Amino acid sequence: MASLIDGVSSTKKNYLTAIKEAIAEEMARNPHMIAMGEDIGILGGAFGVTDGLQARFGPERVIDMPISEGAIVGTACGMALNGKTVMVEMQFIDFISCGFDQIVNMTATYHYRTAGEVNIPMVIRGPAGGYGGGALYHSQMNEAWFANSPGLKIVCPSTPSDAKGLMISALRDPNPVLFYEIKELYRKREIEEELNAGDDAIVPLGKARIAREGTDVTLVTYGQNVWHCLEAADNLAKEGYSAEVIDIRTLVPLDEETIIASLQKTNRLVVVNEAPMTCGFAGEILARMTTKAFRYLDAPPARVTRLDTPVPWVKPLELHVLPSVEKITETALQTIRF
Amino acid sequence: MATKTNKNSNEQSRPRDLLSPQQMREMLTQLYLARYFDVRLIKEKKRGRLRGTLYSSHNQEAILVGSLFGLKGTDWISPIHRDMPAFFLKDMNAGWRNPDRIGMTIEEVCAQVWGKAGSPGRARDNWSHIGSKSKRIIHSTSMLAGTIPAAAGVVYADRLDGGDAVVLTYNGEGSTAQGIFHEAINFAAVHKLPVITIIENNQWAYGTPTHLEYSLEDFARRADGYGIPGLIADGQDVLDVYDKVMMAVEHARAGNGPSIVECKTFRAYGHGDHDDDRAAKYRPKDEVEEGRSRDPIAVMKQQLVALGHMTKEEAGQHLAENKGAGEVTDIDFPEEVVAYLNEGVQFAIKSPLPEAEEGGMWVFKEVE
Ligand SMILES: Cc1ncc(C[n+]2csc(CCOP(=O)(O)OP(=O)(O)O)c2C)c(N)n1
Ligand SMILES: [Mg+2]
Repeated sequence: MASLIDGVSSTKKNYLTAIKEAIAEEMARNPHMIAMGEDIGILGGAFGVTDGLQARFGPERVIDMPISEGAIVGTACGMALNGKTVMVEMQFIDFISCGFDQIVNMTATYHYRTAGEVNIPMVIRGPAGGYGGGALYHSQMNEAWFANSPGLKIVCPSTPSDAKGLMISALRDPNPVLFYEIKELYRKREIEEELNAGDDAIVPLGKARIAREGTDVTLVTYGQNVWHCLEAADNLAKEGYSAEVIDIRTLVPLDEETIIASLQKTNRLVVVNEAPMTCGFAGEILARMTTKAFRYLDAPPARVTRLDTPVPWVKPLELHVLPSVEKITETALQTIRF
Repeated sequence: MATKTNKNSNEQSRPRDLLSPQQMREMLTQLYLARYFDVRLIKEKKRGRLRGTLYSSHNQEAILVGSLFGLKGTDWISPIHRDMPAFFLKDMNAGWRNPDRIGMTIEEVCAQVWGKAGSPGRARDNWSHIGSKSKRIIHSTSMLAGTIPAAAGVVYADRLDGGDAVVLTYNGEGSTAQGIFHEAINFAAVHKLPVITIIENNQWAYGTPTHLEYSLEDFARRADGYGIPGLIADGQDVLDVYDKVMMAVEHARAGNGPSIVECKTFRAYGHGDHDDDRAAKYRPKDEVEEGRSRDPIAVMKQQLVALGHMTKEEAGQHLAENKGAGEVTDIDFPEEVVAYLNEGVQFAIKSPLPEAEEGGMWVFKEVE
């Protein structure tokens, strides 16, 4: 049944399939959409996100690129300048640094420096995040580099339905969007969900999701740490505290209202992100809430982040530097008991 | 076919053979236009009327005029800092003041240099950092070689849509050391994209001579590494540049892919006007004299006279050649050239500054 391929199915699907469906549906809907990246065509992508895409849409629209992140982003930018919507895959989000100039100076600034004449519809997506033993160059969450580069939207879903819905929004957005896919969630059974098809699946950029309601502390996070925060909330419940978990879904634009509304209720804030502490996005949320929600806060807002280190390889080292359920629980308790 | 040509049959036909005498004379006028634009801005800057750095194209104008002359309006270009005249020279043959011309007007270019709201980019970035989608000029940035990938992407998209556009990218020889230069041309070569890489080899990259930038006698040989043609043009000779670029254009339009065209020239002044005094010290005097000894205006006049397209008396009028910006005056240029520039300058002076609030605008496009 063709509808199965198009996502109308009663079976639950994983995070990777959700992204795959969104891309395929958008390519079918938008004849001006192009996909490009390393090994995305013949192979179907290192993780299989673009499996079958080239067979369906042809090698001109699904391009196996030479190994050059700069050329991938830069040519995508030119295609977008000339009327195309481009989905760019980074084989691992860590490699995005090799295309950095083309992203922050060329692509991100285009609309600004042309006073609105040119906009660049481009989604740069790729597998991101730690906890999988990927070591220094296959574990990064480097979204803060780009949050500090005006002109880029930044998305990081934590569930299959969000992954699909946000990807559709990203691919329809007139601006460049960086899309952080959590590779540890790609095939995680426990989080599989039923997915809507087409427009019913859409999740708008800039709207946070309350992953769990609570009254004593607000845990604000995104990506893989959403699941850690939910576990921490279970731990806190055992201690008699009710934690609210907010999944911001998009860093830029940030849904500040949802966080502020939560703080009016809980009066306590803990922000969690996988990236290093210094100048990480958790710090940005703390700064904004300290300014905008100061009068609701009954304790100093806190953050749980990676140590200011790279991500090491072997498990004990990796877990030592990354945020954990234990660290989140502990920090939340300190904030509640302040 | 004996009637096809009246030339010596041993002589290979060249793209220039199809140019009429009027077209060749127009080429000369466009050389004056490029030169006068430069001279005028140097003078305006010295008068304190302009801000920012001026990267003179003096002595290199034949590269711009010769490469742009045979393009279609629908072709794309990607100029850089030393190519300011390219913005208005594009599609000039459609008529200098033709509103349908697919190139920028002199008013737009001057408004940009003056930092005024009449600039196509509303003066958000300086000098050569403008472009126009509708005029098919890729918006340049400061990042050397950084727009070549976009050029490749633009023609990739054009080809998908059934177009036949080529793109000319302009690059100093120094910028060729950038990784992205290689990355982009490699991609263009793999996909046989109509990307023509013009190297304006003026022997200097700011304060660094070519032998410290790459280790080739002729940079054009770099093309071998991409499996594409590399051509060498005499950058002082507008007709030679025209020939070589048109050969590359025909090659590209026939679906055979990219070329590199190395145009050998010499930077007349400092890197930018801030560097004039220092350049006079770091560059040997005799090298500068030699490098400036073949002014492209003089070279073209000699050819026009030799071809019988211009009389010696005519060639003796408007003696802009072999004169520095401080020595020439308006009478050294054809009146229509001066008049055209005046229109641009007047427009720029009258154009208002952008509103201060615009500094905070257009980071994102609103989602409809
Ligand atoms: C990526 C980058 N690095 C450094 C510079 C500073 N810079 C501007 S022009 C220039 C020299 C360029 O030389 P070349 O490419 O030969 O062009 P030319 O100025 O001689 O025309 C330098 C170093 C820059 N603009 N961009
Ligand atoms: Mg140079």
